Amino acid sequence: MQKKLAWFLQHMRREWQIYVLLAPTIIWFILFLYKPMYGLQIAFKDYSIFRGIAGSPWVGFEHFQTLFESDTFVRALKNTVIISALSMMFGFPMPIILALMFNEILNQTYKKTAQTLVYLPHFISTVIIAGIVVTAFSPSAGIVNTIIGWFGIEPIYFLTKPEWFRPIFIGSGIWQEAGFSSIVFLAAIAGVNPSLYESAVVDGASRWQMMWKITLPSIMPTIIIMLIIRIGNILEIGFELVILLYQPATYQTADVINTFIYRQGLQGGQYDVAAAAGLFNAVVAFVLVMTANTISRRVSRTSLW
Amino acid sequence: MAKMNLYSRGDKLFVIANMVLIGIFALSTLYPFIYIAAVSFSSGFAATAGKVILTPVDLTLAAYERVLSEPEFWRSYLNTFIYTIGGTLMSLIIIIPGAYALSRPQLIGRRFWNLVVAFTMWFNAGMIPFFLNMRDLGLMDSYFGLIIGFACNAFNIILLRNFFESIPASFEEAARMDGANEFQVLWKVFVPLSKPAIATVTLFCIVARWNGFFWAMVLLQDESKIPLQVYLRQIIATLSDDEEFASTLLTAPYSVETVTAAIIVCSIIPVLIIYPFVQKYFNKGILLGGVKE
Amino acid sequence: MSGVVLDKIVKRYGAAQVVHGIDLQIEPQEFVVLVGPSGCGKSTTLRMIAGLEEISDGNLTIADRHVNNVAPKDRDVAMVFQNYALYPHLNVAENIAFGLRIRKVKKPEIAKSVSEVAEILGLTDYLDRRPADLSGGQRQRVAMGRAIVRHPEVFLFDEPLSNLDAKLRTQMRAEIKRLHKRLGVTSIYVTHDQVEAMTLADRIVVMRDGRIEQIGRPMDLFNNPVNTFVAGFIGSPPMNQLTAVVEGGDDAPFATLGETKVKLPKLPQLQGQAGRKVVVGIRPEHALITPVDGASAIPLDLDLVETLGSEALLHTHVGDTPFVIKTETHGDIDHLYDVDKVYINAEKIKVFDAETGDVFAHPTQG
Repeated sequence: MQKKLAWFLQHMRREWQIYVLLAPTIIWFILFLYKPMYGLQIAFKDYSIFRGIAGSPWVGFEHFQTLFESDTFVRALKNTVIISALSMMFGFPMPIILALMFNEILNQTYKKTAQTLVYLPHFISTVIIAGIVVTAFSPSAGIVNTIIGWFGIEPIYFLTKPEWFRPIFIGSGIWQEAGFSSIVFLAAIAGVNPSLYESAVVDGASRWQMMWKITLPSIMPTIIIMLIIRIGNILEIGFELVILLYQPATYQTADVINTFIYRQGLQGGQYDVAAAAGLFNAVVAFVLVMTANTISRRVSRTSLW
Repeated sequence: MAKMNLYSRGDKLFVIANMVLIGIFALSTLYPFIYIAAVSFSSGFAATAGKVILTPVDLTLAAYERVLSEPEFWRSYLNTFIYTIGGTLMSLIIIIPGAYALSRPQLIGRRFWNLVVAFTMWFNAGMIPFFLNMRDLGLMDSYFGLIIGFACNAFNIILLRNFFESIPASFEEAARMDGANEFQVLWKVFVPLSKPAIATVTLFCIVARWNGFFWAMVLLQDESKIPLQVYLRQIIATLSDDEEFASTLLTAPYSVETVTAAIIVCSIIPVLIIYPFVQKYFNKGILLGGVKE
Repeated sequence: MSGVVLDKIVKRYGAAQVVHGIDLQIEPQEFVVLVGPSGCGKSTTLRMIAGLEEISDGNLTIADRHVNNVAPKDRDVAMVFQNYALYPHLNVAENIAFGLRIRKVKKPEIAKSVSEVAEILGLTDYLDRRPADLSGGQRQRVAMGRAIVRHPEVFLFDEPLSNLDAKLRTQMRAEIKRLHKRLGVTSIYVTHDQVEAMTLADRIVVMRDGRIEQIGRPMDLFNNPVNTFVAGFIGSPPMNQLTAVVEGGDDAPFATLGETKVKLPKLPQLQGQAGRKVVVGIRPEHALITPVDGASAIPLDLDLVETLGSEALLHTHVGDTPFVIKTETHGDIDHLYDVDKVYINAEKIKVFDAETGDVFAHPTQG
């Protein structure tokens, strides 16, 4: 024991500097990410600002009961899963297709230029995306209504129609992220052994065949991993864009868990109920992510973290 | 790969069709930006009547004159710079040393400390407790609060840590034998060696800061502290919620649409300026060190 | 003086012990090479001397100073790494100067030292270049420059030549040797390449599994290996080793190799050992293809002739055991295909205990 202590002191005398370097990071994580976890207990309390987190009385699972009896929350939960599933269905294949297509471009300048363009929306703020969407879909001024006007269709106020919210939301998501997400797959393609292609050329394979028979199977592990991650993150929705695009008229199809939490908690002041919704969300997400990681470890034999 | 003349006619057709499709996709990505730029330079009347498609109609700078004459616009623009520069510096100051320490094999409890960081990627307390915590810490409605509150995230630390780990141990050992202490090893050896990784993290920080709006909206009450994105949101909210207000502007040389478009253009310009400088890092796989995590 | 003394040095990682109490005394100005297969503990030993690994047990003395707990930078040693560890963002001059700058040496003094070192290593014209713009040999020299410039008591080399191609390796080997002659600094050099060890060392330390097998001057190791391991490790191609049983009387011991009786040297240790299982060791160089007086002739089957130019290797087998012969070609190899016998002089044969692998000492050893 004493020997260990002596070793520890010796270690500290020699290596104290790395602990100094580490300290700000750990302090930050404790202060801004772990301390709020302590605050999560208000999900089980009748929280009042004046009594504080520790002083508020316990109420058990009351808030969770309230949530599941509330149509709004159940609707938000349903919307979350539906929007997420639809985004995955339509959004997930796009980057893969793009990557395969980029890989077939031989002119490097053309390729670089096209890549530069499709990556760009990733770096644009959600507010601007929303601004563009609002402008483009505006009933009087928007380009979309101008175009459907050419076909004799009356202007539609898209953003007030519940049935249009999801297509618009998912479409703008694809527009913003499909290009940038293709980087992962492009990197996977870059890792394919070139001699596979060379021997295929010698065997007389066409480029189309090589794409299907070599490239796609080679990046399949990456595709599976990304898909698993995506499924694990099914409760993660770009809720900032939802907040910017939805309005009471479209809550029916647009309201998701995080926007529900935002309205209940930050706008409505019902911190405890909103925190309960958040905790529910976080626990389910945690289980999903962990499951996804376990599965991916099995599938790919490399864990994601 | 093989040379062009090795390809069959079918291959050539395939290559050309592919180029055309990619071209269409790239242009359709670009189109909304062109459209917004066109709107911003059009007259309010033309924009409101839906006449703008590709190029400005009734070319005018009225919307820009309007936007640039708003002190709130300039104030929020300045604020965005403050949050972006201050926030990015704060992030780097915390993240670089932290990632370095976490990459050192001699760190006692290394696995534990790494878990402390990584765990937050899988589980976080969520919006409400974070908000209440910021309030309890007295960081509401302040520049510093917004800067420090979002200084770190697990992803950036892990990305950088992975890069540091990939640097051969002999660099550190050589420096140590030369008499460098940890601070010098980090500053004189690891930081210069990790330029691409640090550039990537810096880029992520800048982009996140420049675009961040939700927490700025939630945490800031003082109008004089809001960043550009929040200001823009207020304008857009007016546009989408209040049709009546929009119609009152029909006769003006600008409309809410053109003003919004002008603000959007002003807000994208800095991104477009730095974009080419950082774009070269995307394909270096450096990003993937993080993505893999 | 700047000798290095290792006194029962032990390295443990948790429960696993990888270096088992090494004793080694290195004289000032001596060039000692630690050699052995990978995983033998030679690099770990070097890194303990450098201070990059903690010493689990035992004492380390450098220049009469006990340095177990002294930080690497204060041990007054410099190290050349396998991958050179040159900083890609610094040019040659800055790389060489790095250690001096960290130590806050004055600028003019740094400039002077750097140009001196560059002069010695022939790097004067390359001082402004970045490592990426240098050839492998030049990088290697910069790495040495970085060590030399600090005028350390001891140089440590960790497989410094293993990243170079064969030709450059030979060239740099000679350069390191010259440099050592010129500077006379105590040097400890780790390699897995016995040729490097033979050519560079004043003394070689052969290691295996965290233990020292033998210490000695290169020719001592070549001529008098203490066991089958050293015999197999030193020399290229390695010594042929054939298992056999001691037969015959004390004044004429012999062993049967294949179906042939081969005379063994008259060693005192072989007295009365008839029937003992031994390993008969014959260096390829000592297997002759022309008859010699008093030598035993072993018939053999030729498998393959490998031509090296002035020399050739004959791959053959005696019974079922492969047997290699190294011989001069004298510019012609045709006659080598006719070889069907090999002649062995008893005095050149080593005899090892088949169980322990230890040699039955040769009278000339001492």
